[in-house]
Amino acid sequence: MTPFRPVAGFIPPYLLDRIIERGSERQRACARGTLQHVRQLRPNPGPPGLQARQAPAPGRPGQPQRHIHDAEQRMELPGVPRRSEGQAETGDAAVDEAYEALGDTYRFFWDAYGRDSIDGRGFALIGTVHYGDGYENAFWNGEQMVFGDGDGEIFQRFTRALEVVAHELAHGVIESEAALVYVNQSGALNESISDVFGVLTKQYRLGQRADQADWLVGAGLLTERVRGRALRSMAEPGSAYDDPLLGRDPQPAHMRDFIVTRDDNGGVHLNSGIPNRAFYLAATAIGGPAWERAGRIWYDTLLDRRLPNDADFATFAGLTLTQARARFGDASAEARAVAEAWQTVGVEIDP
Amino acid sequence: MNQRTLPPLGPDTVVRLSRQGGVAAMPRLAAPREIQFSDCSEDQRGQVCAVLERCLPVAERAVGGADQRFFQVELRYREANQPSEWIITVPEQRAPGELVELWKRGLRTG
Repeated sequence: MTPFRPVAGFIPPYLLDRIIERGSERQRACARGTLQHVRQLRPNPGPPGLQARQAPAPGRPGQPQRHIHDAEQRMELPGVPRRSEGQAETGDAAVDEAYEALGDTYRFFWDAYGRDSIDGRGFALIGTVHYGDGYENAFWNGEQMVFGDGDGEIFQRFTRALEVVAHELAHGVIESEAALVYVNQSGALNESISDVFGVLTKQYRLGQRADQADWLVGAGLLTERVRGRALRSMAEPGSAYDDPLLGRDPQPAHMRDFIVTRDDNGGVHLNSGIPNRAFYLAATAIGGPAWERAGRIWYDTLLDRRLPNDADFATFAGLTLTQARARFGDASAEARAVAEAWQTVGVEIDP
Repeated sequence: MNQRTLPPLGPDTVVRLSRQGGVAAMPRLAAPREIQFSDCSEDQRGQVCAVLERCLPVAERAVGGADQRFFQVELRYREANQPSEWIITVPEQRAPGELVELWKRGLRTG
């Protein structure tokens, strides 16, 4: 038996940050050391573990390479192959939706930014549907995307929402680039950027301008029994649902309402409302199709090697402004819109 | 790696279980369940400790990435007369069935 010893790393990093800010000298010293240790434990994993397993061959540039599997309600991956690139519809809605949505997401990144799949090198898009029994989630596991059928009472199947499928693929893109650490503000940025490229994929697919879009994440995912329209609203964080069972959407839209919590890795799905609204404000102020200019600025920022994997909102915001100026000019309307968007949500840009 | 041995858990221990994360993360869906050892029989405390012991080998520090759900076990207890706290996080895919049952249905009675 190992003797008991306190493991300080179990203190969530956001609490360590608070101790560093407010604790006694000794507490601060300990917390600093622990935080450094925690950060060492969370290195940038780099591109997804594509070489770790026998991955399917990548597609040709500009051509997705999709493989949709069926977990048959079990929780084993990847499951039974159902539809590969170029094959006809199967008649299974989840299989066909995943196939189409992954294709739409591939085309969005390729057409808008010239990006060839998740890793920029044609990584095959592997998706598994019918994962688990009434499973109420979708995720990226570092190698593939996974979609549950929902319980039918609160959630419908997760492949119904293109922006949710695209959100999961975007997690793979983020992992390949900035690899933002999935806790606290960097985790909320990770979530927000996935939401941004999720909704941009949908807007691109529908040919919508910023002012025509609904800016909802997971629209159509909630059943009719739920009082709500989506999982999140980028335009109005905190307004997506208000239901007796689910409660009220708690997402903040401004830094003054930033949620300090130990749940959800420091509220990564909650505080993402703040950068989400900043993107919405910038995109609607700039006008036109949001993927062309606002989306381009966010994409350039994600690829900027100066973006640290533990970036906070202010650091990310500062880099979006740098990228807006570099691409569109110091005094451009785009740069002004970006600066004003962050100011409106209460994020002070680092000088 | 997480610690492999539970701290000594006395009768004033409180255990909070919740399921966290996921693309549809909503605070109510975490469905936190709190178990106060002061309300438990010896048998029930043993039941909880057995579940926690099963969690230790599969616990991980960095969990939840890219919408993968995880279970969070928070222990509040006293050690050397001081309040102490411990958090164990377990990826959903590796969570022991007993932990999921305890979170969903609570303690067995009788």
